[in-house]
Amino acid sequence: MANSTVALRAYGDGLHLIIRPHLSISEVEAAIEQEITRMNRSLAGASVQIDLKSPTLKEEEIELLSSKLQQTYDLTVRGVEVADEPVSPPIAAAPTTHVISPTTDTRTSRDSEPSRIVAHTIRSGQTEEFPQGSLIIYGDVNSGSEVKAGGDIVVLGALRGSAYAGMNGRLSAVIIAMDLAPLKLQIGNYVNRLSVSQESRGYPEIARIGAEDVIIVEKFVKF
Amino acid sequence: MGKVIVVTSGKGGVGKTTSTANLGTALALLGKTVAVVDADVGLRNLDIVMGLESRIVYTSMDVIEKQCELSKALVRDRRVDGLMLLAASQKNNKDDIQPEQMKAICDKLRTTHDFVLVDSPAGIERGFSNASAGADEAIVVTTPDVSAIRDADRIIGLLQNARIEPINLVLNRFSPQLVGNGSMMDQADVLDILNIELIGVVPEDSGVITSTNRGIPLVYEDGSPGAQAYMRIARRLTGQRIPIHNFEQKGILNNILNWFTRKR
Ligand SMILES: Nc1ncnc2c1ncn2[C@@H]1O[C@H](COP(=O)(O)OP(=O)(O)OP(=O)(O)O)[C@@H](O)[C@H]1O
Ligand SMILES: [Mg+2]
Repeated sequence: MANSTVALRAYGDGLHLIIRPHLSISEVEAAIEQEITRMNRSLAGASVQIDLKSPTLKEEEIELLSSKLQQTYDLTVRGVEVADEPVSPPIAAAPTTHVISPTTDTRTSRDSEPSRIVAHTIRSGQTEEFPQGSLIIYGDVNSGSEVKAGGDIVVLGALRGSAYAGMNGRLSAVIIAMDLAPLKLQIGNYVNRLSVSQESRGYPEIARIGAEDVIIVEKFVKF
Repeated sequence: MGKVIVVTSGKGGVGKTTSTANLGTALALLGKTVAVVDADVGLRNLDIVMGLESRIVYTSMDVIEKQCELSKALVRDRRVDGLMLLAASQKNNKDDIQPEQMKAICDKLRTTHDFVLVDSPAGIERGFSNASAGADEAIVVTTPDVSAIRDADRIIGLLQNARIEPINLVLNRFSPQLVGNGSMMDQADVLDILNIELIGVVPEDSGVITSTNRGIPLVYEDGSPGAQAYMRIARRLTGQRIPIHNFEQKGILNNILNWFTRKR
């Protein structure tokens, strides 16, 4: 995965920045920059909790890091938590790829699933659900509405509501939208509640589970 | 045979009653016969906004309970020909009326009037079902803020399910200044989300409040931007093709600034 030294994850209570031990402050900063670039979203205005896997960073360093996050990314640190798990040796940073790990995913593949086409906009309060396979929407998914699919979700419009792909557990499911500005994304049981960037980016994006077990969003170029 | 148009919004306080009163009056000023119906049972105020409060004897409830004929319950507006109000009962609540009963009233009114405008209460419950039961078409009123727009979106979905069509949008309380400095959504943003036909933009106009308090709909006194906006919408309702007025022409510099501030 991108880098295993820091990871940005979205949990039920919001964003967490997980920092692994045995890192110098400059390594941490570089890794954060890489991780945030990889998210491909503005995190402006969001708040983050720093999870330190061991107390390797000094208090002054954490403070410095907090103000840097605030200044550079407009990210507010809402707390710092130090895990007291045994200190493990450093993990080498792996090259950046978006390969989806085949691990636990034993469900049907994309080719064997049916799909349903919905030829209209899904409006606030409406739900479109297709557990058997993928959903393709010729319209928008508006704020306050919900789309759920066993497989992929493809929105040929703006996704502003919430989308839940891979609802039967197929973790290779993806969510694609011409304009991805959702309130909530879920793939399998991974949830991403980054209510950041409700602004249109002007290009299609794809959301999927990356190797760090976090939903990543990137520019959609081709399948 | 006249048209029945429900004026609705989802969110409260966005200008349904103001729009019903002004569009009803404006249509009458254009020579149409109009019945405005208050469907906000228990919280009526169309009568106040139209300045007809003191003349109400019967309400739609009395008609439903067969206490009086529909024609007797209609209050004639003496300031303009062809404008009538059917008031709502203030002492009942929304569940005391069935959708079919409202539909029956609307169907009767359409035989004698060119336009029947029904002022819907806020919400998506019974009051809304009653107000929309007899409608052929809808006017959805929204203000340019996200919560009103989300509620409008919800209502549009319900109207579409009920096969009410067309659904036209009135964007109310629009402020070019606020759009200019980037703190209000512009017309295009709103339409991008709601994706229905825009029938008019009504600017924020302090005249609305004084006109409400005096019981004289704004359109009686031309000249104010709000009155002109409602007159244009009324003309569009009668089928005239009038371009949507652009309140946002603030010069190139402003547009550029706007563009930058919106990026954030
Ligand atoms: N264009 C406008 N400019 C200024 N004030 C306005 C405008 N439109 C409406 N208002 C004000 O907003 C308030 C609410 O308007 P109105 O009663 O028409 O809304 P409503 O949608 O009918 O409300 P409810 O949901 O309670 O029935 C009133 O005080 C009215 O004067
Ligand atoms: Mg009202």
